[in-house]
Amino acid sequence: MKSIANKRKAARTAKTNNINNGATGWLFAAPWIIGLFLFYILPLVVSIFFSFTSYSILQPGEFIGFQNYKELINDELFFKSIYNTVYFAVIFVPLSIIFGVALAMLLNIKIKGMTIYRTIFFLPTLVPHVAIAVLWMWMLNPGFGLVNGFLDMIGIKGPAWLGSEEWSKPSLIFMSLWGIGQAIVIYLAGLGDISDEYYEAAEVDGANWFQKTFHITLPLLTPVIFFNLVMGVIGAFQQFTLPYTLTQGQGKPANSLTFYVMYLYDNGFKYFKMGYASAMAWILFVVIMILTILIFWSSKRWVHYQGK
Amino acid sequence: MFLKSGRLRKNVLVIVLMLALALGACSNNGQSGEAKSEKDGVTTVTFWHENTGVGEEAIKAVVDAFNKKHEDIKVKPVYTAADESQNEKLLAAVAGGNPPDVSWFDRFKVGSWAEQGALTDLTEYAKQDGVTKDNYYPFAWNEANYQGKLYAMPVDTDARMLFYNKDAFKDAGLDPDKPPKTIAELEEAAEKLTIKEGSRFKRIGFIPWYNQGWLYSWGWAFGGDFYNEEEGNVTLDDPKIVESLEWMTEFAKKYDVEDITGFTDSSGSGAMDPFLTGQLAMHIGGNWSISGYLKYKPDLNYGVAPIPTPTGDNFTSWSGGMAVVIPKGAKHPDEAWEFVKFFGSEEGQEIYNDIYKTLSVMDSVNEKLGYKDDPIFSEFVKILPKSHNRPVLPEGELLWNELANAVDNAIHGNGEPKELLKSTSDLVNAELE
Amino acid sequence: MNPEHAKKIKFTAAHVCLMIASLFFLIPFIWMVSTSLKPIEQVFTFPPEWIPRPFHWKNYSEAIEYIPFWKYLINTSVITILSTIGVVLTCPLVAYSFAKLRWKGRNIVFAITLAVMMIPAQVTMIPLFLLFNKLGWVGTPLPLIVPQFFGVPFYIFLLRQFFMGLPDSLREAAKMDGASELRVYWQIMLPLAKPAILAVGLFQLMASWTDFLGPLLYLTNEDSYTLSLALQQFQNKQGSEWSLMMAVSTLMTLPIIILFFFLQKTFIKGITFSGIKG
Repeated sequence: MKSIANKRKAARTAKTNNINNGATGWLFAAPWIIGLFLFYILPLVVSIFFSFTSYSILQPGEFIGFQNYKELINDELFFKSIYNTVYFAVIFVPLSIIFGVALAMLLNIKIKGMTIYRTIFFLPTLVPHVAIAVLWMWMLNPGFGLVNGFLDMIGIKGPAWLGSEEWSKPSLIFMSLWGIGQAIVIYLAGLGDISDEYYEAAEVDGANWFQKTFHITLPLLTPVIFFNLVMGVIGAFQQFTLPYTLTQGQGKPANSLTFYVMYLYDNGFKYFKMGYASAMAWILFVVIMILTILIFWSSKRWVHYQGK
Repeated sequence: MFLKSGRLRKNVLVIVLMLALALGACSNNGQSGEAKSEKDGVTTVTFWHENTGVGEEAIKAVVDAFNKKHEDIKVKPVYTAADESQNEKLLAAVAGGNPPDVSWFDRFKVGSWAEQGALTDLTEYAKQDGVTKDNYYPFAWNEANYQGKLYAMPVDTDARMLFYNKDAFKDAGLDPDKPPKTIAELEEAAEKLTIKEGSRFKRIGFIPWYNQGWLYSWGWAFGGDFYNEEEGNVTLDDPKIVESLEWMTEFAKKYDVEDITGFTDSSGSGAMDPFLTGQLAMHIGGNWSISGYLKYKPDLNYGVAPIPTPTGDNFTSWSGGMAVVIPKGAKHPDEAWEFVKFFGSEEGQEIYNDIYKTLSVMDSVNEKLGYKDDPIFSEFVKILPKSHNRPVLPEGELLWNELANAVDNAIHGNGEPKELLKSTSDLVNAELE
Repeated sequence: MNPEHAKKIKFTAAHVCLMIASLFFLIPFIWMVSTSLKPIEQVFTFPPEWIPRPFHWKNYSEAIEYIPFWKYLINTSVITILSTIGVVLTCPLVAYSFAKLRWKGRNIVFAITLAVMMIPAQVTMIPLFLLFNKLGWVGTPLPLIVPQFFGVPFYIFLLRQFFMGLPDSLREAAKMDGASELRVYWQIMLPLAKPAILAVGLFQLMASWTDFLGPLLYLTNEDSYTLSLALQQFQNKQGSEWSLMMAVSTLMTLPIIILFFFLQKTFIKGITFSGIKG
């Protein structure tokens, strides 16, 4: 009798909770729902509209239907920029995750001086972009740069790096990997989130380092990896500041560093074709959206939340 | 416990919001051209510029001179932190209907901004006050006009010339007082001056596309024309321009473009300029580099000469430069014009160009500043009357980028110069229609 | 091999790995600091020189005088602190709602939250500017601060991931005890998510601290400029003041480095799941 009464009580609480949840949930999210609408959706809707016009920032332009989208199909540089961007994303995102997780795990070992190491890995993200660009041009200088100097020592003739069509994108990927300090911080926070008890239990079972990494650490880090994957894809497809500063907006050599958003920017702000640029933005949106949906869809198989 | 922290949080929120609002209220009066400009009959004219260092001093000197002369107008210079290649700030301000009264402006952009209706037409003002093209170099005046109307007041200029290192010339057995005049002589000198060890250059004689070696520099040197004014279209496949690009491509093949990019990509301003370090014996440069040379290597033994041409005569160059404009939507166009006029006048130009050591767009001012007696500057001043300006087009920026791409592709062997220029020409013409 | 010995080897190996990687990651910073101490002629020498000769400490005092450093430092700090407070107040709350509360439309709103990040800021920049212009906020730091109080999608997503990882049982237990949702959030969930919230705070801090485009567009009065705008002032067509620029850059990074150095302990061992099993 008593247990039934208890159950009923529990059920009732759960029910009220759920009803409450609806309102509280909205309430908690309210600031963001307002912000989302004002600062994000409003400008977005405006930009969808622009993509069907010849809007130039300075002039409203005319409604031209799908003209911008049609023109894009015949735009060689548009496709070139897609190629460059996909090339960058496909190589950079996985590399950044592998290196990021590996370094974060290294930085999570409890040894002396770790605070200093962690700070060091974070440092490159603090150096201004202009400085980074200049530094790299200096280091990758084919004749006198540090990198080729080093390769010379071990008997390899280094390529022209940023001066070479073939090597410019790998160089950029290499440079970008320097900035994974932020991702490492996120991984570290994720690692800190994993309860020690899992490891203690595993140790009791006699698990080795390998087993602990692949059966505890990595699975429990998946929510964070998932986050960095999604954000990595978004970021890689919107790559802009570093190549733009590096090539003074030209995408040299031979457009091998003209990335999608760089071309979009030139169209919008230099050629006064903001309508065209908006159309580009929405195509990019669709591409990233599809990729994100794929990632989300696959995440059910590989992302494990501790809470569940 | 919870209540306490809840209240605390609320308080924090309130304080923060109040702070933010107060902050906003404080700096609100900073907005250009807004409110409280007319006080005691004095109109404040905001003037946005992006000059730093000595350039900023020069601008402030012009402003001070103007303010001293005018009791009822006060010009307020505001450094915008924008750089040459990014113009979002002015663009956004004009789009928002809240621009400064006067803005510093690259003349190169006059065509595109005027086409967009973003600049105030100055033709009537100029006519009233007797400002005519007579005092200015033709290219400077041309570049300030679009479709027969004046949109900008030119204030300084530049030119491209061949810089050569006299010590390197001596070293290579060349006469340091006889810089190359023809393309053939240039090639010969370049070969003699180049010292290559493996794929690494100890010294490069010359790189046609380095620094200011744009296609504009060579196309005009070869006698080409980029724009057909009557038909209103660009003519990049002009045989002379094609010839110049073919010559550059040949050069790239001969010296291996990938080896050369080691130099070109690490190039920058300041002491690392390979021309200063002696790694580059000749290059096409602009007069603005001179003060840097003086700063980083005062004893550099160099000379300047006109850009070589195939025939060794008909020397030319091209020039750009800055201007002051009144953006559309400026609150005080009349007062702004007074300042624009002053900056463009002999007096304003003299103050500005004297401090900043740039070339004036008026021959008379260049003479007054003694540029004609300076061994280096006089060469520039000599070429200015014959200098070209880039065509004033709504698609000037596109043309510029596409030309740079065409050159880049040609020297990297991605296509034949003729076809590249033809397709670039077609692309730009399609946009022009 | 005894376990003590094995542990020692493991630690040494870790140290070696970390040191090699550290060298690589230190390069940009060392370069920045070393440039900041070089006389101007020595900035770009070939082959590169790493050690200034002599140390030009004067660069720092010159750099500080070259721009209104202290004024800009205050401006930058005010914007940074306020926007960081905004982010830290709002984002965890919203993220918690996305992660743990059930409400109608939640998934759609969350999907939109992700979607808005997929449009490059370059196209929304002008419409957003026009919006702030309408509000009369252009020329004030408000556009750089207020939106943060309404949440930032990147951080909301990040924090949601963390809240998702917290066991539901905690929340249910507290609710059984009759705690309100706000109380559960404030007293139980928030402390548990502290490492992630700190990380988010740090990111926003850095973002505001180094933001260039925002201040460029919205600040129109030189008195309200920030340090990142001032960095531009060292660039000049006739030759940039690299040493001075790097001196200011170094000064700008110092507070963040110090903050990071001391905060990071909290990132890592912020949570001890005492008595809670997942």
